[in-house]
Amino acid sequence: MNAVIETRGLRKRFGRVDALNGLDLSVAAGEVHGFLGPNGAGKSTTIRVLLGLMRSDGGTATVFGRDPWTDAVALHRRIAYVPGDVSLWPNLTGGEAIDLLCRLRGGTKDAAGYHARRKHLVEAFQLDPTRKGRTYSKGNRQKVALIAALAAPTDLFILDEPTSGLDPLMDAVFRRELQAATNNGATVLLSSHILSEVEHLCDRVSIIRAGRTVETGTLTQLRHLTRTEVGFASEGLAEADLAGLAARIPAAHDLVAGAGGEGGGAANGAGGVGRVSFTADSDALPEVLAVLAQLRVQGLTIAPPSLESLFLRHYREDDPAGPRR
Amino acid sequence: MSTLGPILRLRLRRDRVQLPIWFAAFAALAAVAPAAVAASFGTVAERESLVRIASGSPTILIFRGEPQGAEVDALVFFLIFAFLATLVAFMSTFLAVRHSRAEEESGRAELIAATPAGRLVPLLATALHGVGASLAAGVAVWLGFLAAGLDGSGSFTTGAAIAGTGIAFLGVGLLAGRLMRTSRGANGLAAAVIGVAYALRAAGDAGGTPSADGLSMTSAWPSWLSPIGWGQQTHAFTTISPAPLLLDLALAAVLLAVVVALASSRDLGASVFGERAGPEHAGRTLGGSLGLAWRLQRSAVVGWALAGLVFGVLAGTLGETVVELVRSNSQIGAALADLAGGRGSIIDLFTAAIFGLVGVIAAAAGTQAIIRMRQEEANGSAEALLALPLRRIRWMFDYLVVGVVAIASVLAAATAGAAVGLTRSAGTGDRVASAVDSGLAQLPAAVLILAIAALLFAVVPRLAIGLSWGVLLVSVFIGQFGELFGMPDWLRTLSPFTHTPAIGTADVDWTGAWWMLALALLLAALALAAIRRRDLAL
Repeated sequence: MNAVIETRGLRKRFGRVDALNGLDLSVAAGEVHGFLGPNGAGKSTTIRVLLGLMRSDGGTATVFGRDPWTDAVALHRRIAYVPGDVSLWPNLTGGEAIDLLCRLRGGTKDAAGYHARRKHLVEAFQLDPTRKGRTYSKGNRQKVALIAALAAPTDLFILDEPTSGLDPLMDAVFRRELQAATNNGATVLLSSHILSEVEHLCDRVSIIRAGRTVETGTLTQLRHLTRTEVGFASEGLAEADLAGLAARIPAAHDLVAGAGGEGGGAANGAGGVGRVSFTADSDALPEVLAVLAQLRVQGLTIAPPSLESLFLRHYREDDPAGPRR
Repeated sequence: MSTLGPILRLRLRRDRVQLPIWFAAFAALAAVAPAAVAASFGTVAERESLVRIASGSPTILIFRGEPQGAEVDALVFFLIFAFLATLVAFMSTFLAVRHSRAEEESGRAELIAATPAGRLVPLLATALHGVGASLAAGVAVWLGFLAAGLDGSGSFTTGAAIAGTGIAFLGVGLLAGRLMRTSRGANGLAAAVIGVAYALRAAGDAGGTPSADGLSMTSAWPSWLSPIGWGQQTHAFTTISPAPLLLDLALAAVLLAVVVALASSRDLGASVFGERAGPEHAGRTLGGSLGLAWRLQRSAVVGWALAGLVFGVLAGTLGETVVELVRSNSQIGAALADLAGGRGSIIDLFTAAIFGLVGVIAAAAGTQAIIRMRQEEANGSAEALLALPLRRIRWMFDYLVVGVVAIASVLAAATAGAAVGLTRSAGTGDRVASAVDSGLAQLPAAVLILAIAALLFAVVPRLAIGLSWGVLLVSVFIGQFGELFGMPDWLRTLSPFTHTPAIGTADVDWTGAWWMLALALLLAALALAAIRRRDLAL
């Protein structure tokens, strides 16, 4: 069986709230899988179900082909977890917490290897391991959890927004170290709402919303779904030209012309004052540009497709029913 | 100062459930106690005999107070005031720490201090809130006594004394919050101060001078060192003297001034007892969940054990003095001689009575281990731990082990303290053997209360902290007042302390102890089974 994590129609209720509402997720062995969603979409709940910390109310979930609730302890030997909000023991130093977590995971059996790896990570992340847990900032608490996760070899990393408190330098260290771990064949589930992180690290991405998977695929597949953003100044164009724009460019979507709105990017349909904007399917771009050249538009901007636009399209506030194609 | 109102409302809103429960408990205790006393001791003769026995028994005085006659209302005040005052002291210190150090620890204080409120207005709001809560507790007692038909001005004075005690300990709580780095540490320090205040009052009352008729007493000087003693010295139902309450206000004012001085000169979040660096690597003992559970609680266990030691030494050294006191008061001595039979027995009875308090401390120490486990779960550290190859059963079992170790440490320290103190007494060997029995006798009830807390944690985690303390408090109350207030048997049966073997009597019956141990094992097994079945309650 190739899938390390497999969920089908996963459901979880908290009182009257459906936290998970039929979530499908499939993570293949050896891949770095991005798990994207806005706050409250159900990312952390999914992770807790996968760790056997919570029991699902419906659907199936397997990790390494086993039930995460009943086989929790056996599975945890193969998993390293970094929680989204790292809480350390206030009167233990960071170094003690790292040692404790790794010992419990059974990761210190190769003592020499562990100590070398730990030393390397402590230096790379520039952590002072002699300070007490309560004196660490959010970023430093996160470093402790990351070092503890990375210091011992692991088959599966489950990382819940692992870099939300790190500065860009440490972010780069984290990427490098995670890369090294995955080169050894580890699988990673990385939840995030930081798109650049996912774009840099992940092979495949699942986007969830309101407890349900709305999109899943490789970055290339998903990029294909996104459209190029086109914008230009409306100044100097005749009313008739503007009005006829939609007819002349059949590939244009979300066309917004003239005043009103603010520059929020083409994907949410606002062109900014005095600007026209639309999105176009990436393969229709040559025809679009020909029309714009004829009109001799000024201030032309063309933005490449990004996950950002995909993400925003899925979470448009005026579109609660679901994703738009 | 325009920020004071909103912060005060925030405090009130956060406590909108908790404080009314306290007030209701005060009113209920005050309303029920007089009827219970009147029912149990209906005639003057019965009450006089009760007071005479009490006056001659430091064992009783330690738990109650200073007798002031045999009228129903004075008797109620004698029996219940120290208990109510201790309760209000805990209410105040918990409140002070909850709204000061706990806020700083969680970082919420930073959010507030960054507004125009600054650093001092929140402190002032907490002080006002605490004064208000103390006054409300006083009103609850006043109304409760009135409802029970006690004398009006006496009821009012009792209420005022409760409020005064609450205000004095509010200062203690606020200062503890300034001194200690964590809310746990601050609550521990405040609880220790309450314990000392109670012990001083107990020593003062036990060493007091009875009047010739044996119906009233004058407490010795240690009572005057304790805010609980000050409240008692108002003599609410005899010769009312509100003057001691000024001491409460003065103490609160001094403590508050120190707190304000500390708060205005120090960083937000800083404490007097500061932070040091620690080891870079985990030691050998910190290798698993038991090592962690022990490491997290060892200083608390040491603190509880010290409290046990103090009470043990008290029991051991005072025993001889008690005998002398009893002998010197012939009228009482005669009544007691029949009751106890012999010098050694009186000492044994006294030791056993003090160990009744030690048992409560041991039960609290055990409960604390479960509370700690719940806090670990609520603050998220348990999540990281249980994502490791660690069985939940093992995790809980290790906390239960630490809980039992805490209980055993308290009892062992108390027994050791008593043994050292008893070397002065005649027949040391027998006395020490009896003290060991007294210590062992307290074990089953404490372990049972630990097991109940564990089951609560496994089944209703979000309510576990409040319910566990509630179980302990109700058990102590029934154990202390059940017989005195003539509570029905089925109700008294519910408190583990009712079944604690009575050491110092002729034939000690250990049946209850064995049953409690068996029940504790059963409940702990149920808790371990239940912890596997629930979601992590974050």
